[in-house]
Amino acid sequence: MVSPVLLIAVPLGLAFAMPLIALISRRLPRFVPLVACAFNLIVAIRLIPTVLSAPVIQRIGGFSPPFCINLFAGPVGVMFAGLIALAGLVIAIYALSYIRTGPTVRYHMLYMLLLVGATGVVLTGDVFNLFVFFEVLCISSYALVAYFGDRNGLEAAAKYLIQGAVGSALLLMGIGLLYGLFGTLNMADIASRIGSVSDISVFVPLALIVSGLGVEAAIFPLNAWLPDAHSSAPSSISAILSGIAIEVGLYAVVRMIFTVFGATSIFMFLLFLGVLTVLMGELCAFAQTNIKRMLAYSSIGQIGLIVFAFAMASTISLAGGLFQLLTHTLSKALLFLAAGYMIHRSGSMEISSLNGMGRRMPLTSLAFSFGAFSIVGLPPFIGFPSKFLIVRSALEKQQTLFTLLLGFVLLGTLVEGAYFFRVVQAIYFKKSGDEPASRSLAPALPLISMLILAVLIIFVGIYPQPVADALSTAASDLLDRAAYIGSVLR
Amino acid sequence: MMVELLLIVAFGGSLLTYVLGKLSSRLRNGFALLNALALVIMIGMLYGQEFERSLPFGFLGIQFSIRMNMLSWFFAATILGIGLLAVLYSFRYMKGKERLDYYYFTLLFINASMLGTVVAGDLLSFFIFWEMMSWSTYLLISLRGGGKAIFAGIKYIIMSLVGSLAMLVAIVSLYTAFGTVDIGELAVHMQSASLGLALLVVILFSITFVIINALWPFHTWLPDAHAEAVSPFSAILSAVLVRKGLYGLFLLMYVILGFSFLDRLAVGAISFSNVLAWIGAITIVFAAFRALLQNDSKRILAWSTVGQGGYMVLGVSVATSMGMAGGTFHILNHCIYIALLFFVAGAIEHRTGGIRDLDSLGGLIKKMPVAFVGGLVGIFGLIGLPLTNGFVSKWLIYKSLILEGRPFLAFAAFLGTWGTILYGYKFIHNIFLGQLPDELRDVKRVPFTMAVPIMVLVVLVFLFGVLPGIPLSVVNQVGTYMGFEPLDLNVWGIPSESGTLNVVNLLAAIAVAGFLVWLLFKTLGRSTRVDQSDNYAAGAAIPRGRYGFTREFYAPLYRIVSPYVKDFPDALFLWIADRTKALGGMTRKIYSGYVGSYVMYIVLFLAALVFVQLTWSPW
Amino acid sequence: MRIVWLFLSPLIALVAGVLLLGLSRKIMARIHWRYGPPLLQPVIDIIRLFSQRSASHGILFDLGIVVSLAGSLIITLFLPFGNIAPLSGSGGMLVILYMMLIGPLGIALSGGESGNPNASIGISRNLMLAIGYEVPLLMVLLAVMTRYGTISIVEIVRVQQASTWSIASWPLVVSGLAYLLVMPAMLGFRPFEVVQAPQEISSGPMVEYGGSYLALVSIQHALSLYITISLFVNLMLGGSGNIVIFLFKMLVVFVLFLFVNAVFPRFRIEQAVRYLWRWPTLIGLIGLVLVALVGR
Repeated sequence: MVSPVLLIAVPLGLAFAMPLIALISRRLPRFVPLVACAFNLIVAIRLIPTVLSAPVIQRIGGFSPPFCINLFAGPVGVMFAGLIALAGLVIAIYALSYIRTGPTVRYHMLYMLLLVGATGVVLTGDVFNLFVFFEVLCISSYALVAYFGDRNGLEAAAKYLIQGAVGSALLLMGIGLLYGLFGTLNMADIASRIGSVSDISVFVPLALIVSGLGVEAAIFPLNAWLPDAHSSAPSSISAILSGIAIEVGLYAVVRMIFTVFGATSIFMFLLFLGVLTVLMGELCAFAQTNIKRMLAYSSIGQIGLIVFAFAMASTISLAGGLFQLLTHTLSKALLFLAAGYMIHRSGSMEISSLNGMGRRMPLTSLAFSFGAFSIVGLPPFIGFPSKFLIVRSALEKQQTLFTLLLGFVLLGTLVEGAYFFRVVQAIYFKKSGDEPASRSLAPALPLISMLILAVLIIFVGIYPQPVADALSTAASDLLDRAAYIGSVLR
Repeated sequence: MMVELLLIVAFGGSLLTYVLGKLSSRLRNGFALLNALALVIMIGMLYGQEFERSLPFGFLGIQFSIRMNMLSWFFAATILGIGLLAVLYSFRYMKGKERLDYYYFTLLFINASMLGTVVAGDLLSFFIFWEMMSWSTYLLISLRGGGKAIFAGIKYIIMSLVGSLAMLVAIVSLYTAFGTVDIGELAVHMQSASLGLALLVVILFSITFVIINALWPFHTWLPDAHAEAVSPFSAILSAVLVRKGLYGLFLLMYVILGFSFLDRLAVGAISFSNVLAWIGAITIVFAAFRALLQNDSKRILAWSTVGQGGYMVLGVSVATSMGMAGGTFHILNHCIYIALLFFVAGAIEHRTGGIRDLDSLGGLIKKMPVAFVGGLVGIFGLIGLPLTNGFVSKWLIYKSLILEGRPFLAFAAFLGTWGTILYGYKFIHNIFLGQLPDELRDVKRVPFTMAVPIMVLVVLVFLFGVLPGIPLSVVNQVGTYMGFEPLDLNVWGIPSESGTLNVVNLLAAIAVAGFLVWLLFKTLGRSTRVDQSDNYAAGAAIPRGRYGFTREFYAPLYRIVSPYVKDFPDALFLWIADRTKALGGMTRKIYSGYVGSYVMYIVLFLAALVFVQLTWSPW
Repeated sequence: MRIVWLFLSPLIALVAGVLLLGLSRKIMARIHWRYGPPLLQPVIDIIRLFSQRSASHGILFDLGIVVSLAGSLIITLFLPFGNIAPLSGSGGMLVILYMMLIGPLGIALSGGESGNPNASIGISRNLMLAIGYEVPLLMVLLAVMTRYGTISIVEIVRVQQASTWSIASWPLVVSGLAYLLVMPAMLGFRPFEVVQAPQEISSGPMVEYGGSYLALVSIQHALSLYITISLFVNLMLGGSGNIVIFLFKMLVVFVLFLFVNAVFPRFRIEQAVRYLWRWPTLIGLIGLVLVALVGR
């Protein structure tokens, strides 16, 4: 059996070895993320059958929990790790030709660290460790947002940094309080003892942690950094930020609430927050004329949808939320990647500059349309099964409130449809202004990465059964606190 | 196996058409035609079969199934028939235009998806096909490019999205309640359903079907979409795609819910059928007067499609055998003559270089006789003159309304017909009659491959008008499938037991009288052909120019009517869209760009959380 | 016997219509303190016109007239005439309503083909006027059909003969009033003589017709007078089992509206439609509501 530690250790080692590799050849470092992600993907896939039957608890340092730092490779964690590796791999392929200028070695190194951070967050079983990985993730994203070094990028990165830092500080305070209360940092250990203290003293760390992690998870109103950061970053980074970083933040929030705090009473609050996030995100996106900002706001909306699903806290809704997460990762990554090359071609981020892109870059445009249709949730794309599951879980509650909130969420979907369809139309049917409609394809490598995503989007959309099955196991893993505690503390 | 094969051929054919198009355009055209023809033959072979079968795969634990019965067959036959003609028509119409591979692919794909919706045996696959139909239609409406077409496309897809979201919720509600979405099983389960659930499902489904069937007040997407799409596709849109809404209503009202249940969905006089009937009536009258105000050949037809949908709904909601037969038959008839009219309008557009403005046309009867015959017959069918197919179905609808004691609904239906006469005549007059403008002196005849579909449909209009018994026997079987008593029929019409209609008498009378008058006219009258321009001044030299009266043909009526028939729903929807955008603009201001306020949000969020907990301790 | 009536009843209708036409000129002249032409003047005119040469403007120009006249002839087969209605079993009122379209529509197509703007204006007015009076008329017809629960005109006549005339029975009297108000418009009499309006648009749709065309149009006009009045008599005045009484009733109705015709000036088309959509429609609506409330 492969050890889940490898998922973190190998990429981390490679990341730090990057400057050395660069000494051998300047061309070599850009292939390193490829290797690392491919490795992680293989490991994660090999781990999945194992963890579906029972989670793997990896102890580090030789002590048994709760006294050591442990990794908890449950179904959710490993699937997340696999998803991160997959998205990382695809985007790394894309970046091979997309990232040509600037300090490329540092780009690839930071990129690796970002993935390591993300993988660490989803695998760790220790609250402080979570914080550390989280910081790795965040700090590398701050740097990557400013990669181009232009004014917009720097400004966005600085804003992101400030807000991220505030969030991290809150998170750290929360963790500190927890440590003070329980004298332990092990999630399972905290979880098993959480009932022994008064409600209010648990609540303060909970509020701090939710707020702190919520910043990275882009929950309204903590998400103000997102539009700037996502739109100013290089498209490959926007894709990974939208597709991975915020989802990981969300995972952390959910893990803390579900497993550590077991705070079922806060779900109703999260539910409303989710709906609000959907509406805010979609409405803002509707008013955008900048394609990348539009996509960024759309990510906010999607996060809201996922929060909505998670907050319903049933097996189906969690499976739906996780499925939506998968949808969002694949589709939004595809959208950002496609948009990246279109922007590259037209030299402007205005939606109007994409007019007639369907003739100039047919395959890229097709990829963009796939992504858009999928995000809106049209069959036979991947967005449909996830939306179906979410709608189903909301209706299975059999309560007017949930039905009503679902109505609002679907209203958000409608707005989302409106702006995505508008862009698709602009791409295919509007006449481009000046440029003659010469055909040119994006370079092969980005096309390959878009193709992989597009194929996945269609394939899972048509045949979602295995994914749905795996995700419902994962969902019950998230829901079942006792099993989590039991398997770690055995 | 046949139905699966049908779907495979339909979808596979569309993809293959695209691939072949990359090789050669002739190959593509030939294959597209062959594919459409093969589908028509296959559906012909499926006539009369009735079965339901699970497919070996499913979706998220829901088993897919397909079904074939007269209801499905009826709709499938119209889809594939019109599809074949549209493909044939497209060859010349689309020649020389851009993106033909894409066009043929999407056209066939839409047809395949529509086919899927009618043979789907469970609501989930119905929904999936429905959605595929929606987005592929959206992708084709804007094909022409340009502001109007793009606006039409976005309008369509948003309204259609509203509908499909409503339908999704309805289907999932049924699924959560009964654990199945199979139509046959749902029909059984529904009988024991709670009224609340039934009401929710009915309302949500109705929203979807009313939108796609373009009934008032959700008709607003249709005039734009139909006018701006390319003509062969407008024909498909008008003739079959819009009627998927009626298929859905049939499915909902008579297959899933059934009569007894529909009766329970009533509060006093307000029952589901009544509401539907009144929506139909409003649609008829409103659309008739809106069509009067149009000045664009295809927009007139588009509005007439809206109105004719109202007739069908009227017939269907009366829920007697006769009304049902009338409504169902009208679907078929409308499909024939509206496709014919769109083909004619397209032919005019094709030959005159894209003129759709009724003020700039005229006198084309001498230049395009085939188009004229098509247009005249189509308009006759639309009005429902005796000996055309429209007459029989409208007769059935009127009669059932009168006999059921619904005079106000019948009045709306009649009034709509008289409105139809006005705009129908305007359509004929402004395009074909009157003076030929100088610019159109060298307009050519309708090309052969475009004339063939037109003539086929002309023949069908008369055939089904003179021998209504043939299509009505199919319609009867559709009705029987949904649980209605079959009408008594003979090949010439309806014998007296269930209300007399005897077309053969009409035919004979018209033929004899026409012949006698013609004889009188020929023997007694001596006439010489005189050029039109000699009319006005008795041969004296007059300046060339237009003396025709076409502009604002019904100006006095416009002045009376136009304040009352403003398209209020359309204005409302556009206002909502506009407000939403403004709201988006306002919401965006939350993200002010000032990082201090962002940090404040975070802190405030935390503070609010703690404050709420300390004060009320809800968590 | 039926075959004979099939050919005879259009002929009687034709003769009656032409005589009504002649009578109208005579009566109008007497009202105007003129002597007026002889009663048979229209017949003489038609014979003369057939002997004249005429100009044609195309196939539809010819066909439209033929269709129009043929359509009008056929309606006479569907309208009970006395106790004779050769084809009344083939669809009832609905067929009559539709067949009544063929006449004007044929003229419209024929006139449209002529390309004369006066003709087009006349046709446009004709159609507008038609939708003007059809609104109240349809309400009236629906009231009658709903009241008697049938769409067969023979049945309607039979019921009236068994009880009383529609126009004398409650609540159809209201509808009858509305019907009376729209009759001049249906007959094309003043104040609704906007379609032909000789002083304005040179007889409108007729402007291009001469010779045999004009003859046929005149015949069609005579027939349409007959049809309109006969429909009124059948629906409102109880028809008749006797041809003579039937024709007498028609004559009375016709003369009544001739008086109206003689004393009124002409509306503009807009005024005509506004009027028709105001009072007759209101009364017709009340009638229909009453019928719907009272039931059969």
